[in-house]
Amino acid sequence: MKYLSSNNTKRLDRSLIPVLAVLWALLGLFVLYPLMRLLYIVFIVEGSFTLSNLSEVFTNWYNRKALLDSLILATSVAISGTFLGFIFAFAETRISLPRIVKWFIGAIVVLPFVSPPFTSSIALTLAIGPNGLLLKLLGIPDFNIYGFWGTWLAETLTYFPIAFLTLAAVLNAIDQNLEDAAMSMGSSRWRTFHTITLPLSAPGIANAFLLLFGCSLADFATPLVMAGHTFPVLTTQAYLQITGMYDLQGGATLSFILLIPALLVYLLQHYWIEKRSYVTVTGKSGGRGSARGAGTVLETLILLLISIISLFIIFLYSMIFFGSLVKVWGVDNSFTLENYVYVFTVGKEAIKDTLLIAVTSTFLGSVIGICIGYLVSRPDLPWRKTLEFTSLLNYVLPGTVVGIAYVVAFNSGPLVLTGTMFIIVALCAFRYDAAGIRAIVASMQQIDTSIEEASLSLGASRATTFFRVTLPLIAPAVTTGMRYLFVVSMTAVSAIIFLVSVRWSLLTVRILECITELLFAQAAAFSVVLVLIVFAAMGIIALMFRLIYPNYMRAR
Amino acid sequence: MTTFKFGSKVLFLTLLSSILLGGISFAAQPELNAYTIWSERYANAVFSAFTEETGIKVNWMRFSSGEVQARLEAEKKNPQVDVVFGNMAEAFINGIPKGLFEPYMPEGSNQIPEKFRDKNGYWTGVAIDPICFMFNAKFLKDHGLEAPTSWKDLLNPAYKSQLQMADARTSGTAMYRILSLVEAMGEDEAYSYQRDLNKNVQVYTKSGAGGALPIARGQAAGGIFFLVDALEMQQKGYDIAISYPVDGVVAGIEAMALVSGAKHPDLAKKFLDWASTERMQRIYEESQINLIPSNPNVKISNPGLDMSKVNVLPLDIKWAGENRERLVERWINEVLK
Repeated sequence: MKYLSSNNTKRLDRSLIPVLAVLWALLGLFVLYPLMRLLYIVFIVEGSFTLSNLSEVFTNWYNRKALLDSLILATSVAISGTFLGFIFAFAETRISLPRIVKWFIGAIVVLPFVSPPFTSSIALTLAIGPNGLLLKLLGIPDFNIYGFWGTWLAETLTYFPIAFLTLAAVLNAIDQNLEDAAMSMGSSRWRTFHTITLPLSAPGIANAFLLLFGCSLADFATPLVMAGHTFPVLTTQAYLQITGMYDLQGGATLSFILLIPALLVYLLQHYWIEKRSYVTVTGKSGGRGSARGAGTVLETLILLLISIISLFIIFLYSMIFFGSLVKVWGVDNSFTLENYVYVFTVGKEAIKDTLLIAVTSTFLGSVIGICIGYLVSRPDLPWRKTLEFTSLLNYVLPGTVVGIAYVVAFNSGPLVLTGTMFIIVALCAFRYDAAGIRAIVASMQQIDTSIEEASLSLGASRATTFFRVTLPLIAPAVTTGMRYLFVVSMTAVSAIIFLVSVRWSLLTVRILECITELLFAQAAAFSVVLVLIVFAAMGIIALMFRLIYPNYMRAR
Repeated sequence: MTTFKFGSKVLFLTLLSSILLGGISFAAQPELNAYTIWSERYANAVFSAFTEETGIKVNWMRFSSGEVQARLEAEKKNPQVDVVFGNMAEAFINGIPKGLFEPYMPEGSNQIPEKFRDKNGYWTGVAIDPICFMFNAKFLKDHGLEAPTSWKDLLNPAYKSQLQMADARTSGTAMYRILSLVEAMGEDEAYSYQRDLNKNVQVYTKSGAGGALPIARGQAAGGIFFLVDALEMQQKGYDIAISYPVDGVVAGIEAMALVSGAKHPDLAKKFLDWASTERMQRIYEESQINLIPSNPNVKISNPGLDMSKVNVLPLDIKWAGENRERLVERWINEVLK
């Protein structure tokens, strides 16, 4: 086992041992234990090991179709999302555009990412579903959006921003002097692109592809609204099995099947891509070349595509906004604020609960994330690969799997947590700290160890060095992690839907409720409020770090 | 910032204390906890009236019928709620052999006819809700159609990919649609009919009411709903047509029950007593909740709730509860395939 071996014999700093012990205890309790209980319910029937649950699930043709559909959907979304993400990233990094336009692209791209998962699907149905607004506007005849196409479109729109962010970072990191050199040596733009830019960004593209594949595989909200009955996928099947058929065991088994491709994707990413170093950050490169275009024709095409997609996203979101301000959608379009009154009266508890849970999770998850990220980056730590893998496990697994595992683990047995706020906080913190951990590990790798050593040899303690030297250097990674934690704690639904209780409800679950209860305008108002809260929180987090570390320089 | 004074112990303590902080739970006061499948507005009207009259606070959550049942089963060893208010009677019957409910005969429940409650007190019916057709009036007019008046009418090719109705795996509405068909034409005939009907279905929605708004907005032509959801759309101002098949429909019984192992059984019984009174069922009309009271003494003035001209078929509720899972399996394997 590669993970278990540690050939490093250096002694570990004693002061780290208590931190390490607490971390392992927590990971054991909130990552490994629920997973064990899940495996137990899938494989153990009446005290003995059996595959009968699995085979039973697969005798059902509908479940076999769900597995196949999940894989087809994930592949298609990964292809289209990566393509779109690349186009957007290329425009952002290689085409000279006014700053305001670039900012605008960035803001639009973030929208689907920060908005609650059901909203884009709902907006999409209203826009291009049967009798949709956009179809009427353009005079296109009806087609049935439910099924593969609708789900694919909604997921592509939701997840391409992830590819965009990944690829923009990669394209930015490619030393543009190489491209300049090629062009000045007489190479055409296209030739430069496909002999230099494309090969250098290939691992980034593969990474984005796998990320999107994983996202789509794990997505629950979009298929729930868009897939209908003709296109069952595993996540919704697992959910329906539990909520509809009263069958926890069947749902657990289905989610176990989902676990296999998810783990495969992670391992592929880990061994194949992360091993290769493609980022050419040396800290020593000369002046950045100005952005190189792709040729007028291609540039126009790219910009046209970007404009269309951006306009489409703006259209979808203005529909949500408009919907939140009218009396009866489609019948009485007079302006009203009563939906917001509803949100702030009936929904007050949910807003309060969600905020409390998100803030607590962000804080807790960040502390855990910083500890793990820092520890994992230390070459002298025993079992550090195992620590990293364990800490990322809940994130690698689809939300439905983790949610079901938590239900199974904490409903009965030694630790009963159902109905408390803590179970939701623990889920968010131990699942969504992953982005922070990854960013911190990546950022730690870029820090020359001599900086820390210098501090230590000047007599500073390890803790002082950590807080005064290391933390300011990894601050951007920490804020990235915090922002992600907050956003996802506010918007996640797949795992949390199993954990909400009479006492603790969440905004996303309320939105789903509103949607199922036909309160479309109220759902829209809830979504608008949620997006605003998320934006405000992102601002506060950024501001906080500027205040605490005024001297840290933005990377770019 | 004086961060340099921090030691690793502080880091450790921060970690620990933040975890404890997250774990602080709310102070336990005797409050009633409930699940319901009723919509927000309906449930709120009932529960707040109870709080107003008794001073007992109610924490409640709304889930679909199947979800309530699944939760009760998952939480059997550690029940999170004391009562279920307003799930379909057949779900309660399904849950009795699983030990999910405890018998309790609420005071005053003898005013409710016997066919609307369990003779052992496992569940007490609080409202009646028949199945109906709901169609977009403009769609009908544009296509020169009358509102359908028989099950066969729904097979009209004019409705191809135009109907929305509930998914049998999650929705009580779908269950009662199937039960209506089984009662009206016999089980095998009902399934072969649904296979034909499938061609006209645009999408099966997760919740029973889920298709109502799309139909009201004209995204779909129509579907099969509980009357309460159809009347709700009409009340909101949408132009829809409500009709019934002459071959008959069944009516769902919305009921309530005491959860077995409830943490606050006294509060739960108090609620069940209160909810069995005429007074509670009068809230329906006061709050514009379009349900038919199960207590015949409660007068209704809404003509939409008058069932005297509708062919309401008798339903063997016990059979329905016992055969629920089999009927759903059959729906997945024969209708969806």
